[in-house]
Amino acid sequence: MIETTFWRGSVPRVRPLLGTVAAASFVVASYMALVWAPTDAVQGDVYRILYVHVPLAWLAYLAFVIVFLASIGWLWTKRPVFDAIAVASAEIGVLFTGLFLVAGSIWAKPTWGVWWTWEPRLVTTAIMFVMYVGYLLLRGLSTDFSRRATRAAVFGIVAVIDVPIVHLSVLWANSLHQLPTVLRVAGSPALDTPMLVTLMVSLGAYTLIYAYFMSARVSLELARQGRLWTRT
Amino acid sequence: MLERIGARRVLLIAALGVAVLVGTVAATNLQTQAVYYLTPSEAKAQGVAVGQAIRLGGLVKMGSMSSADLRGGNDFRFVITDGSVDVQIVATGAIPGLLREGAGAVVEGAFVAEGSFHATQVIAKHDEVYTAPTAGATPAHRTAP
Repeated sequence: MIETTFWRGSVPRVRPLLGTVAAASFVVASYMALVWAPTDAVQGDVYRILYVHVPLAWLAYLAFVIVFLASIGWLWTKRPVFDAIAVASAEIGVLFTGLFLVAGSIWAKPTWGVWWTWEPRLVTTAIMFVMYVGYLLLRGLSTDFSRRATRAAVFGIVAVIDVPIVHLSVLWANSLHQLPTVLRVAGSPALDTPMLVTLMVSLGAYTLIYAYFMSARVSLELARQGRLWTRT
Repeated sequence: MLERIGARRVLLIAALGVAVLVGTVAATNLQTQAVYYLTPSEAKAQGVAVGQAIRLGGLVKMGSMSSADLRGGNDFRFVITDGSVDVQIVATGAIPGLLREGAGAVVEGAFVAEGSFHATQVIAKHDEVYTAPTAGATPAHRTAP
């Protein structure tokens, strides 16, 4: 099969390089975020957590959209590699959603004045976190590979609906969270050019980290699947 | 084998259908029914009772805020307005550094009388605009205490 040679041949060969590039770009992004980017006129230096918070949010969205696509892939083609991609992305997505919530909370305390409040963006994100923890728990309910993958795929397709809800929740009336800065409804991004460049570099660095984690986790899952089938 | 794949594809279409259904219901209802705070006008229209715990949100009226040295005390005052109805807030507890006149704020607490509100928690709202401080200009406010 194509995926076997791809995941067992090309990916492990490229992985060390991918890891190095991801780590290097993370260092560059952190330097830009902490030193190079100017401070903010209203919030001061605390706004710099934006360069962590926004990339983590982006990765959470990306990871769960990948779960959705891989779930469709499994149901449509019945290729086990899609199930491996789905579980890998879900695990990484849960990790990044957790960090996203923590980073948001650390930002909220010095600006809003509270660690947490039951505001639409926060509530929908918490629901997203719990749903994908549930997705991982659901996978533990059956030892039959095909049944487990199918149940998980159905859940993975339905649960993705919270991703656009999370993103659009800031547009609801009477909410607290600020509106999107880059993907603005009206006009150009609402931040200075050096800030925008820093944010883009951070987004790239975090995406490389996601790619690195994925390459490692999918290979691990394929190895597990291999053991599962040699036993039966 | 073919039957198994067929059943799976039916399941796929059903799952997509459920996702679209849930999304539509959520998009049409949550937007109007999930209420994080009431504006002063909404609170007045709904006749919120004295002593009832609510969140009230709006803009801090220009010139209405107590001086900074009263922050954190028991008598920090400001007015929350939505342009038509004003509510006098008396806040106790910590006041966020970003709370400033002309900007958004949400307060948790209860009315003590009509147009007068006791806040036990003040939450400052900030916008999505980030910009470096201009040389010579005094930034409106800083988060530093």
